[in-house]
Amino acid sequence: MLRELVARRTWLWLAGCLFAGPTWAFAMPDLMALLSQQRSGEARFTEQRYVANLDAPLKSSGTLSFEAPDRFTRRTLLPRPETMAVEGNTLTLSRGGRSRQFTLDAAPEMVAIVEAVRGTLTGNAQSLQRHFRPQLSGRAEQWSLLLVPLDARLAHQVREIRLDGQRGELRGVTMEMADGDRSVMQIEPEPAKP
Amino acid sequence: MNATGLSLQRRAWALGLWLSAMVLGLVLIARGHYTADLSAFLPASPNAQQRVLIDQLQSGAAARSLLIGIEGGDEATRAAASRSLAQALRRSGLFEQVQNGAIDAQGSDDGGWGATGRWLYQHRYLLSPAVTPERFTAEGLRGAVEETLSLLGTPAGHALKATLDSDPTGELPLLVEALIPASAPRVAQGVWVSREQPRALLLASSKAPGADLDEQAAAQALLAQAFQPFQAQGLRLLVSGPPLFAVHSRAQIEAEVKQLAIAGTLVMGGLLTLAFASWRALLVAFLPVATGVVAGIVAVLLSFGSVHGITLGFGSTLIGEAVDYAIYYLIQARVGAEAGGWRRWLAEGWPTVRLGLWTSICGFAALVFSGFPGLAQLGVFSIAGLLGAALCTRWVLPVLMPWGAAGSALRRQLGRVARLGVRGLPKLRWPVWGLGLLAAGWLALHHDAIWRGDLASLSPVPKAAQDLDASLRQDLSATDARLLVIAQGDDPQAALRAAEAAAVRLEGLVSQGLLAGFESPTRVLPSLATQAGRRASLPSPEVLRAALAKATRGGPLPAARLGPFVDAVAQARAQPFVSPDDLRGTALAPMVDAMLFRGSAAGEGAAAPWFALLALQPAAGRALDAAPVAAALKGLPQVQVLDIKQQLDSLYGRYLHEALWQALLGAVAVVVLLGLYLRSGPRLLAVCQPLAWAVLLTLGGLAAGGVPLGILHLVGLLLVVAVGSNYALFFDQLQATGQADDDTLASLLLANLTTVASFGLIALSKIPALSAIGQVVAPGALLALLLSGCFARAKV
Repeated sequence: MLRELVARRTWLWLAGCLFAGPTWAFAMPDLMALLSQQRSGEARFTEQRYVANLDAPLKSSGTLSFEAPDRFTRRTLLPRPETMAVEGNTLTLSRGGRSRQFTLDAAPEMVAIVEAVRGTLTGNAQSLQRHFRPQLSGRAEQWSLLLVPLDARLAHQVREIRLDGQRGELRGVTMEMADGDRSVMQIEPEPAKP
Repeated sequence: MNATGLSLQRRAWALGLWLSAMVLGLVLIARGHYTADLSAFLPASPNAQQRVLIDQLQSGAAARSLLIGIEGGDEATRAAASRSLAQALRRSGLFEQVQNGAIDAQGSDDGGWGATGRWLYQHRYLLSPAVTPERFTAEGLRGAVEETLSLLGTPAGHALKATLDSDPTGELPLLVEALIPASAPRVAQGVWVSREQPRALLLASSKAPGADLDEQAAAQALLAQAFQPFQAQGLRLLVSGPPLFAVHSRAQIEAEVKQLAIAGTLVMGGLLTLAFASWRALLVAFLPVATGVVAGIVAVLLSFGSVHGITLGFGSTLIGEAVDYAIYYLIQARVGAEAGGWRRWLAEGWPTVRLGLWTSICGFAALVFSGFPGLAQLGVFSIAGLLGAALCTRWVLPVLMPWGAAGSALRRQLGRVARLGVRGLPKLRWPVWGLGLLAAGWLALHHDAIWRGDLASLSPVPKAAQDLDASLRQDLSATDARLLVIAQGDDPQAALRAAEAAAVRLEGLVSQGLLAGFESPTRVLPSLATQAGRRASLPSPEVLRAALAKATRGGPLPAARLGPFVDAVAQARAQPFVSPDDLRGTALAPMVDAMLFRGSAAGEGAAAPWFALLALQPAAGRALDAAPVAAALKGLPQVQVLDIKQQLDSLYGRYLHEALWQALLGAVAVVVLLGLYLRSGPRLLAVCQPLAWAVLLTLGGLAAGGVPLGILHLVGLLLVVAVGSNYALFFDQLQATGQADDDTLASLLLANLTTVASFGLIALSKIPALSAIGQVVAPGALLALLLSGCFARAKV
């Protein structure tokens, strides 16, 4: 009787593990929910770009900031100050003492690249799926989101973008160019301001 | 002497002269030139800013641009249609440039960007604003190379790598970046699309100037034809833009003038038939009208070289006044059948008609001196038309119908009604006084808000078309460039130098974020002085090599790779300067043509200045203000800020102001003339009173009804005074003679009915300029008659 009960329980437990398995796996909606809890953030980044025919990798560093729903700024401090700010549909580039504004959606591939980061930071699954085929791996504590461009023209420039993170924090962006060049960005979030 | 008292010889002379004049006039009319654009309503002697504005309105790039939308179907179908349509339009040869956002198309259908990129690359050291002596020092080179490298390893890097060895300082990306507009349409499926609606977009500018309406109509027909295959796929074509409006307005004016002429003739014919019941009388009554119209058109053709459609439309209103002459004649000569027929009319009727004619001419003479060709044309047309009609009535009608019109038809009844009116109206004198004071008070209270019309109110473009235009403009980010910076010079080089000076100041506004950017022809066509300066800053190969070795030490890009760069700089040191001819065949040529052009001379003998335009792009979410731009450009005497909206408003303001003065002068001239004729203060007062009251009540009524009054309403008021003075004089005459028979009263009522009917028709016109005149004259003329009766002192 007791043995029977134990055996049944074991069986149930095993079955539970087997069948409930998929719902425990870490999926897109889970990640998006985690990410969308972060309404704004500040971070430091270091970036290394590996370009064919150059003697050494190109290094740069600076700060990142984002504010939901649509503001994102990348401020490069080294080796030369340079700012790229996105707000809504406007991209502002400031470098070499010049400042220029552009309309993002006038160049769809630019929208896609901006959305890869902005869409991830804000947890906007729809936007990501509009431009990429997303594949998620890992678990909440250490996830990796692979984005493959859908648009043929973007695919001509960028083969894939990989975003790595821990829970609601983005910790790295790796971009593989179609011509073999690669940029790797490491992100160190700043503690939230009081 | 025969029964009419006219010799055969005189009859033949009068008829012969009239007939030959008419034939000559018709020949001139058939060969005449007719326009329907806004140019007639722009000033003839503009100031420098207005001249640029007018040049732009008439032949600027905007005046040649069609905004095109494709709706229906799905996004892919629309994109495919956009591509084929663009290709068809380019192939037609009628268009200078057809843009649809596609830059990936093959061959010559890429809009010339492939060639443009090569051209920019070849001339980069003459064109790049970054080329200075400092840029080629070791320090400058290091900075420039670092900046170029910052783009490598990004999605934009691929395109750069091809030219890295020959352009390590990144002059080409700098040039391309400056040419990308700050605001551009959305792109989907590789073509421009709307952000608001499921709609693909194209922009096509014709080769023909905007004012060449025949060519513009041909280009539009070709567009419609090229779109036909897509219509079968369920797609819809939307077109807007100044050339379309111009062609449509012309067609509309032509159609309406015809309709008005036909409707006017029918209504008038009906009224005259009621009054005379005689075909012959009807035909004769139309002769002064026809003569007047012919004389008016010929006079305008001879003095202006062309006739504006609005003038023609206005001309049909002359029917109203000219037919009065015929009515007075036909009835009054009939009355006097026992006492000499036309001779009695000549003695009693003609002096009144003649005086009415002089007062009308005085009124319109003020318009002749208007600085706006449109108004001057109306003045010349009216004067010549009324003179022609009066002369025809005086010399030709007595020959054809010496005894007036036979038959009385309903005239007896008309006369009876008129007599009742004449007896009853004076009782209304006090209520009318009250109404007049009320109107005067209302007008005095609201005098600032009454004249609300603007230049756009003269435009016959319907509201729906204006809405579509605004929507397409927003889609294309082609909102009318409200602010333009104009750099002026005696020759193209001076204009370009002035533009470069302005560009330096504007760059400051861009850095401050007040401007998103600006377009300048100097980006691709710098002045020779600037090009020479850039060329002189290029170092010799030895110097460059030494600096380069220092600059690249320890960096990822070794100097050994940059041989092509040293060669390119060496070549550029001997490169000929860029001239406008070098741009031919690139997509940049139309842009430079539109932004660097020769203006029209300020006057006889004056040299025509050259202008370089800089178009400003407002920062996202900010309204563009003229003040900070003007402040930034202070101290540059050759550079001005042109606020287009404000210029157009001030243009209209000047127009209105001038018209007000002219109307006032005209009215004074009418009063002086009446005074000279009447030679009696009380009589003059009695004649002027109903006219003043008619003007007051008409104006008050329209203003109280919320009608925004403009220049053409003013012209209408002048016409009310001119027509109304005839009625007032008639009653003055009654007082002198002491009595009037039914027929004479009937002629007055009939004349008034025809006038009110013809202007009532015009009030229904869809052309705002015409309906404005009709709205004023129809009620005004009726009031003038009623009030003349009301204030008349005579016992009838």
